[in-house]
Amino acid sequence: MSALSRKVDLNMAIKIINAMIMYANDNGLLPGSYAVVDEGGHVVAFERRDEAPAATADIAIDKAWTAATMKASGRILEIISKGQGWRLNVKHKGRLTIIPGAVPIIANARVIGGVGHSGGSAEDDLKIAQAGWTAIFREEDFNAEVEERLSLARKIAKEVIEEVDNRKLKPVTLAVVDEWGHPTLIYRIDGAPFGTLELARDKAWTAVAFKTLSENVSSLYSNMISATNWNERLTPIPGGVPFMYNKFAGAIGIAGNMPEEDKNLAINVIKKVGLELLG
Amino acid sequence: MEKYDVVIVGGGIAGLSIARELSKYNVSTLVIEKNEDFGREMTASNMTLVCQGADSLTFRYGTLHAELNIKSIPLWPKYAEELGVPFKKIGGLGLIRDKADFFRFMKMYSRAFKSSLKGEESYYIPKGSFEPLQFLNKKALKDLEPYSNPKIQGALYDPNLAVTDPVKLAVALAENAKANGVEFLLKNEVNKIMREDEYFTIITNETSIKGSFIVNASGINADRLAEMAKARDFSYVPVKGVLTDFDEDTSEVFKHQAFYLPSLGEPHIKAVVPLIYGGLRVGIHLSFTLRSDKEIPLGAADHNLGVIKSIAPGYPFEKHIKKTFFGIMPLTNAETGWHDFVVDTPPHVPRWINVILGPAGVSSSPMLGKKVVELLSTSGLEMEPNPRFSSSAKGGVKG
Repeated sequence: MSALSRKVDLNMAIKIINAMIMYANDNGLLPGSYAVVDEGGHVVAFERRDEAPAATADIAIDKAWTAATMKASGRILEIISKGQGWRLNVKHKGRLTIIPGAVPIIANARVIGGVGHSGGSAEDDLKIAQAGWTAIFREEDFNAEVEERLSLARKIAKEVIEEVDNRKLKPVTLAVVDEWGHPTLIYRIDGAPFGTLELARDKAWTAVAFKTLSENVSSLYSNMISATNWNERLTPIPGGVPFMYNKFAGAIGIAGNMPEEDKNLAINVIKKVGLELLG
Repeated sequence: MEKYDVVIVGGGIAGLSIARELSKYNVSTLVIEKNEDFGREMTASNMTLVCQGADSLTFRYGTLHAELNIKSIPLWPKYAEELGVPFKKIGGLGLIRDKADFFRFMKMYSRAFKSSLKGEESYYIPKGSFEPLQFLNKKALKDLEPYSNPKIQGALYDPNLAVTDPVKLAVALAENAKANGVEFLLKNEVNKIMREDEYFTIITNETSIKGSFIVNASGINADRLAEMAKARDFSYVPVKGVLTDFDEDTSEVFKHQAFYLPSLGEPHIKAVVPLIYGGLRVGIHLSFTLRSDKEIPLGAADHNLGVIKSIAPGYPFEKHIKKTFFGIMPLTNAETGWHDFVVDTPPHVPRWINVILGPAGVSSSPMLGKKVVELLSTSGLEMEPNPRFSSSAKGGVKG
C-alpha cells in the first residue's frame, strides 16, 4: 500500500508550493508565481511572491492547467508540436501554454494534476516546477521564507481555514489580490467546487477595483455598470472585501457559502488579522 | 578536526568508483558511509547488468546517461580484471512479438551499426569493444533458447551484453582505494553540513570533518544531503523496482538476458537476466514511491512471475522462486521519462559536486570517476599523479 494520495488536495498543493519556493530561494532564482491544479486543471493553490511580475500569475496557472489537461509536460508538448504549439492558442481562450515550467503531477501511474511556475528562464521554470511535483514523494515538509505581502496573505488564509472549520461552514475558495487586482494567493479548501474559484477571485477583483465591498458596486454605480457587462471579472455580489495593511492595499474574495456568509467570514478574518477595512 | 581535500559522502558504486579514481592522484580523500558495509542499497538491488551493448545506445542522445555508459564500454574488461571482479558477456535477446517490435528493433540495429563509424562521435565505440548485432529467426532463437515462448517470432541478438557482481565491485573498489591511500568512515551518517569560505564542515553522528571539496554520492538521499548546503539544483522521484530471483536450477532454462519492448500504457519492464553465480533475476515491477516505503506492492511478485512465464512458458518457475525484493532508485525528469545522470557543480555552490546515477549506474562506473576528476581539477583542486598507485592492490577496508 503506497502512501501516495490519489488526488491533489490543499495540503499537497501547499507542500508543492513550499518546495518550489524553497528550491528557488536555495538556488538564488528570481521570485515568481507558483500554481498547483487538480486533475481537471482547476487551481487548488496558487501563490505569487512580492517581487514577481503580476502577469506571471496567469502564466503559472495556465501552465499548470496545460500540464494537467494535456496530461503531459510542457517540454514534451513543445517537441511534439515542433515549437508550433502557440498556434493552438486559438483554442481555450489562449490558455494552452506550451513552454517549460508546465509539469504534470503523476502518482499511482496517473496524472492527478499539474504544477506551473512562471517568473524565470524556461530552464529555471522547469526546474522549479520539477522541485514542486517531486515534493509529493518527500516525507518531510518544506520551509519556505516568503516576503511581507505573501506572508500576510498566508496569514489571512490560515484564519479563513480555521474559521470555516470552527463555524462549520461549507468549504470555500479564498482569493487575496493586490491593489491592482492581481492575485497574490488562491486556496481552494478541499470540497469547495471549482466554480467557486473564479467567483472568489472576481469578488476580490471587484472589491479592490472599486475600493468598496463588492456588493456595493451595483448601488454605487446605479446598476448600470453590472448591466453593461463591460468586464468579465466584475462580480457585484457579497464576499469581496477590500483592506489596507500598512503600505499594502488589497482585497479578499471568498466564495462557497451563501454570499452574506462569505462576506461575514471575510470581514471577521480581516478584523482578526488586524487589517483596516476599506470602503 | 581532520581535514581532507575531498570528502565523498556515500559508499555505493558511485562514491567508490570516484574514490578509486581519486586514489590515482595525490589528494587526501575520505569516504563516509552510513551502513556498516559498502554497496548495501542501490548497488545491491539492480539487474547486475553491464550495458555493454546496444542498450546503452538507446539512452537519450546527448545525455550524460548515454555519454558515461558508452565511454565506459571499452574500459570495462580491464577495469574488472584489475579489480578482480567477475565480468561475463552473456549476450542479450530483444524479443520480437510482431512487426511493430521488429521495426523498433531495426532502429536499435542501425544505431548499433553506426556506432562503429568514426563520424558518429557521441555514439562511437572503438573496434574490438563491440560485436555486431544479429537478427535471429524463430528457429535460430529456438536453437539458442529451447524454452523460449513459441509465440515469439524472433529476436535481435546482442552478443555484447554483460553481467557482473555490483556489490563485489563496490567492495573491490573500496579495497583498492584504501590500498592507495583513501580513508573510510563507516557507520557514520551525515547530519549537518556547514559551508565556510574555503571548506565545508561535515558533522556526522560520531565526528566532525573538514573537506575542501564535497562529492555528494549519497544515492537516494542525495537531495537531502544537498539541501544541507543549499546545493540541490536537481529533483528526482524515488522509483521502486521489484525484482524476483529464481534458484540455480533455472540457469539451465534460460542462458541469455532477454526483454520485451515496453508497450504504451505498460509502466513495468519485462526482462530476465542470468546472474553471474547462477539463477535468474526477473523484473521489473516499477512504481513511484516514498523512499521510506518498505513494502512490496501487491501484484509485483505475480507480475515478475508472469514475465518469465511469458518468456519461457513451459517451465514450473513458481517452484523455483528464491526471493522477491526491491531497490529504490532516483529517476530525474520523471514527468517526461527522460532520465539523466547528474554529475555537476551547482553554479552557486563551488567545490560541491552532486552525483545522481540511477538506472545503468553500475555500467557507467569506470567513466564516472574520470568525469569527477575532470570536474575537480577544473574547479581548482591541484592533482598530481600518485606515484605509488597500484591498480589491483587490496587494502582491507574493514580490518
